[in-house]
Amino acid sequence: MADPHQLFDDTSSTQSRGYGAQRAPGGLGYPAASATPQAAFLADPVSNMAMAYGSSLAAQGKELVDKNIDRFIPVTKLKYYFAVDTMYVGRKLGLLFFPYLHQDWEVQYQQDTPVAPRFDVNAPDLYIPGFTLPLPCTLLSLPGLSGVAMAFITYVLVAGLALGTQDRFSPDLLGLQASSALAWLTLEVVAILLSLYLVTVNTDLTTIDLVAFLGYKYVGMIGGVLMGLLFGKIGYYLVLGWCCVAIFVFMVSRGSGLVRIRTLRLKILAEAAAEGVPVRGARNQLRMYLTMAVAAAQPLLMDGRAQPWAGGRELGTDRSRHCADQSQKAERKV
Amino acid sequence: MAFTLYSLLQAALLCVNAIAVLHEERFLKNIGWGTDQGVDGFGEEPGIKSQLRNLIRSVRTVMRVPLIIVNSIAIVLLLLFG
Repeated sequence: MADPHQLFDDTSSTQSRGYGAQRAPGGLGYPAASATPQAAFLADPVSNMAMAYGSSLAAQGKELVDKNIDRFIPVTKLKYYFAVDTMYVGRKLGLLFFPYLHQDWEVQYQQDTPVAPRFDVNAPDLYIPGFTLPLPCTLLSLPGLSGVAMAFITYVLVAGLALGTQDRFSPDLLGLQASSALAWLTLEVVAILLSLYLVTVNTDLTTIDLVAFLGYKYVGMIGGVLMGLLFGKIGYYLVLGWCCVAIFVFMVSRGSGLVRIRTLRLKILAEAAAEGVPVRGARNQLRMYLTMAVAAAQPLLMDGRAQPWAGGRELGTDRSRHCADQSQKAERKV
Repeated sequence: MAFTLYSLLQAALLCVNAIAVLHEERFLKNIGWGTDQGVDGFGEEPGIKSQLRNLIRSVRTVMRVPLIIVNSIAIVLLLLFG
């Protein structure tokens, strides 16, 4: 039932599994203590059998999907990234905005596998990048909701809101925003993977880890855009500058912590070998450059992408003037 | 702003086509990037240049046949839908 290697309580599927077990045994196990019209419908043996057959088919189909989906999307690995609780989210958000005082950046390990995010604030997760993408906050309180990229979703919604205040909103623009943000994310992931491959860094960084890292900057972007909506250009620049610096410090400390993990373990294993640390000096330097480059790129990307939303009232007034001019011209032509 | 997933796909297709079209004998050897000019033994530090060489070589080998298919599909779709 529970995978022995799982380090976290997988609460998302127990509810659905219990439900399926209830329904599978057939019509007799079905809660017949329901309203009378339904009881009359259920008393018919043919429909009983049909319902039993249908529910067993559904259970079989669900099993098949569960078996095969693990081949394409590593669902169990993905679940690790969503094993969070509210305290972790709070601490992580605090860390994202104030990374200056945090001392210990190493991810804690338990028998060679990383500990779940619930227990270690340094572990990467996909909940926050997902959380700051589009779903409304009420939906997030539902347990087991594995909405990927909620940060993504919130960012798209906030961008739509900003567009709305500038009189530029239309529903298809939301979809355009979502796919644009997704395209930028994909491009960044591909660029970083390529540079990691070229520098021959042996890291434990998986692709999903990278997505989690890059998704953290959406938190800063949302903060900046909201402040820009409330306080105009000055508030936007202040908050964005703050978030840029914070993300930079965050990335440099986290990034170097993660990129060096293999080397630490190799050092321990290869102590008997003649290779010492100074031999790898050049490679370590290259790794540091890489982390710095990645961290430096984040503020640029954040600023560049959040900029169109932060114009606030000024852009809005330009636009409305433009519309007024156009309507006047139309009137004159008529 | 209009940086969509579709434009990303187009860019990726064009880049892979560009890598596949590189002629080793004429260009890469002149720059010193030919794949038979590699000097790496079994050392642990391949270096960026040989990594790039290997990458280009492997992309060319792996993507030849799929590129033919994808390019034909792209041509047909562009002819039909503009």
